[in-house]
Amino acid sequence: MMRGILTFSTLASVIFFPWPFAATLAVVGVFVEPLVPLAAGIFADTLYYTPHANALPFFTLYGAIVTIVAFIVRSRLRASIMK
Amino acid sequence: MSWGIIACAGVILALLLRLLAPNFFWQVFSPVFRGGDALAEKSHFIFSSFGDAAALALQNEQLKHENAALANENKALLAKEVALVALLDSASVEERSVSKILAGVVARPPESPYDTLVLAAGEKAGVTLGQEAFGAGGVPIGVVSSVSADFSKVTLFSAPNTVVHGWVGREHIPLAIRGAGAGAMNAALARSANVAVGDTVFAPGPGALPIGSVTRIDDDPTAPRVVLRITPALNLFSITWVVLLDTGIGHSGAFTFATSTP
Repeated sequence: MMRGILTFSTLASVIFFPWPFAATLAVVGVFVEPLVPLAAGIFADTLYYTPHANALPFFTLYGAIVTIVAFIVRSRLRASIMK
Repeated sequence: MSWGIIACAGVILALLLRLLAPNFFWQVFSPVFRGGDALAEKSHFIFSSFGDAAALALQNEQLKHENAALANENKALLAKEVALVALLDSASVEERSVSKILAGVVARPPESPYDTLVLAAGEKAGVTLGQEAFGAGGVPIGVVSSVSADFSKVTLFSAPNTVVHGWVGREHIPLAIRGAGAGAMNAALARSANVAVGDTVFAPGPGALPIGSVTRIDDDPTAPRVVLRITPALNLFSITWVVLLDTGIGHSGAFTFATSTP
């Protein structure tokens, strides 16, 4: 339930709150749901990205990077526990 | 299925909707943004009710005086403009005002991370790419960069990598104003230009219009140039409406996007 609330709050904050707050929630959410930063990044670019004005959808890229790092860290932690 | 996968699936659906039917997408999301605005307004009202009533009354009185003075100044300037137009025998003020489009702001910074405004006016209202956006008092704030049937996006002069060629100070020294994000702008200028803190910065519109002022000058003794930190004349985070006007800024190359690092 907590995971669901955190995921929903992160996506809602992209609309209702300044982007640094949404980014903070996404980084907090990565500890329970690694895909949350990626989802928040795609959602932010869906709402605000303008191809004419910006070369790259930076928020999707940043979200993807944080998600990849989270998956790597989680896989390492799991491997350590197995040992 | 995890919440992360559900969230990703949901936002990809939203992305597809945005790409395939942008107008419908904004029809769906604009009430959500308006709900957010209403929420922010109500919370501001609740918090401001805790303020000192005497101080607020004093501030209200000062603002009334200031408003009256500005209204008089505005009338004087309008009369001067009419006289100048008549003198130059060009199009009248009334004729020129016909092409203006008033548009409500659906989303703005800081929610919008790229310094863009989403407007509730699109092709149907006559909005076209490259039109210049003006805030309250006729302050230029950006250029229309994307248009759908009922909605459009304005990229602000403060958007990162945006460059607009303007002027600074009473002598109208030309300079390239670069967007620094979060409503801020900066510009590099030769030290010999003698620009001071408080000098007004102008952008092209119908003539040279003030867009902000120099609030700080970063002076590195080893560099031949100084960096001007510019604060916009309007609070871009609280804009509720803009006026769109075709000034030619979007087509003249005055408003460009930097392709290399400064």
